[in-house]
Amino acid sequence: MKERILKVMKAVFELENADETISQKNCEKWDSLNHLQLVIALEEEFDISFEPEEITEMKDFQTIESIIAHKKSM
Amino acid sequence: MSYFVFRNNTIEHLFGGKEVYYSGYDDISYIPEEIDTYIWFYQIPFKFDIEKLVDEVKSYENKFKLLYDRISKDKTVIVFTLKNLFPIQYTDDSFSLKEAFSHFNDRIIDMSRQYSNIKVIDIDNFFNGFADKDWVDWKFYFISQMGVNPKLTLLFKKWFAKKIDEIELQRKKCIVLDLDNTLWGGVLGEDGENGIKIGGDYPGNAFLYFQEALIELSKQGIILTICSKNNEEDVIEVWKKNPFIVLKQEYISAYRINWNNKADNIKELAQELNIGLDSFVFVDDNPTERELIKQMLPMVEVPEFPQQPYELPCFFKMLVDKYFCIYSITEEDKQKTKQYKENAQRVQEQNKFSDMEDYLKSLDIHITIQKANEFNISRIAQMTQKTNQFNLTTKRYTDADINNFISQGCDIYCISVADKFGDNGITGEIIINTEGHTANIDTLLLSCRILGKGIENAFLYKVLSILQNNGIDKVRAQYVPTLKNGQVKDFYDKIGFDLLKEEDGIKEYILDLKDKEFEIKSYYNIEVK
Repeated sequence: MKERILKVMKAVFELENADETISQKNCEKWDSLNHLQLVIALEEEFDISFEPEEITEMKDFQTIESIIAHKKSM
Repeated sequence: MSYFVFRNNTIEHLFGGKEVYYSGYDDISYIPEEIDTYIWFYQIPFKFDIEKLVDEVKSYENKFKLLYDRISKDKTVIVFTLKNLFPIQYTDDSFSLKEAFSHFNDRIIDMSRQYSNIKVIDIDNFFNGFADKDWVDWKFYFISQMGVNPKLTLLFKKWFAKKIDEIELQRKKCIVLDLDNTLWGGVLGEDGENGIKIGGDYPGNAFLYFQEALIELSKQGIILTICSKNNEEDVIEVWKKNPFIVLKQEYISAYRINWNNKADNIKELAQELNIGLDSFVFVDDNPTERELIKQMLPMVEVPEFPQQPYELPCFFKMLVDKYFCIYSITEEDKQKTKQYKENAQRVQEQNKFSDMEDYLKSLDIHITIQKANEFNISRIAQMTQKTNQFNLTTKRYTDADINNFISQGCDIYCISVADKFGDNGITGEIIINTEGHTANIDTLLLSCRILGKGIENAFLYKVLSILQNNGIDKVRAQYVPTLKNGQVKDFYDKIGFDLLKEEDGIKEYILDLKDKEFEIKSYYNIEVK
């Protein structure tokens, strides 16, 4: 799952590399517009739908991973 | 290309970042100047109070006018129509909101007819491709105020890029059609002139639809040609005899019906019609032929052909959308098939005369030279976009640029040419800017349709003598080489200009007008308006 999330992030933010430390703070391309594009791309990739509360929390890789893991296990 | 978008909602996702700037929400007070194209993209707000909403929508019209008056007329203004993305209707007879935004849409369409720098884009054309439930995603709306579903972003960007291309006029000029199993069902050589399937029951009716559609395309100015492996006599016979074939020879500007390879045939067609291979679309049901053209002539567009005749309507629509759609067409475009045919007649006529002068005399050529005005500006801009071969500098201009030149005091003349075979319409232009007593030819171009009759010389001589009468004593000119304009490399030398210098193929010329006399042959009847 890690790899899939990173793949989506690289595509959305147009990055060559991305690792698990990526967050809104250290990634310049991760602005509010791209944030929504990331959400949409992840929803598509994992066939899930995030709630607005989750979307506001999804500001770094770790949180995103745990939210997706939680949703998938439900 | 830089854009500035006037908007009343979050739409950054639709237009992206690079060189696109945005107004504040519903703010028309600030108009940055260093922008190529302005965009008006307003959306109907999601509000329940219909009366207030109607008032708000009504105010857009005035707002837009206020804004438009302050935008320089040499800039393009793109206006999107208004659309209600989430209509809630309590009674079937409440039309007030619909009336309000329809009125806005009608008004901007009116304005675009009046002012050539306003271009309207119909937003329905985009949304009609999706189910209405997908137009708005309320989750994202409440998080971000995006009225248009962000899931449609990528598709919107693609669609918008195509609309921009259409406004800047990049369509294909010519379609090359196969015959057997393309324009009719079956094979003429095997099934015979009455055995092929055209008209009547399926599949003949599907092919008939395709033929009728192609006739419409030719009326829109697209040149129809045929390239088929058949016996020419058989095809001429079937054109004459089979009453169900509606796409008759008269719609076909040129054809190659023989057993030669199709790549060579298409090259010949390009030469005969004087248009570049990159303006061709090749339609053939045979995958081997398509593959051959793809490999031999990669600049030619080769769409896949449908497997089943009933798919032809959708195939045709795809052809129009992808290759032949433009923002608007001019009268000259509509005349094209006729003109290309007349040209073919002229070529035949030419063969009858051994002496070129006698031939030209017999043509009864009438040349009208006209200053640029509001009726021909679109055509003048269009020619700079489309003319490749007889084009000395190949500078591409928009309507707005031409308007701008006029307001800067440039002399812009265009010419129309008629002869005994017909009227070619406006087919050439010259743009001249003047400093003191020196004139500079910025642009000189002529459509290939009128070449071969010495008109280019007569036109330039006439314009030079006008300049002379206006007190100009020196004329500068340039030749800038492109892949396609090699034929005019020595044009100015032949006219009598002096070559000043040549660098990287770019040639700079000067001509001293003092005491020069220009002899224009008497068989050109020239009128200056």
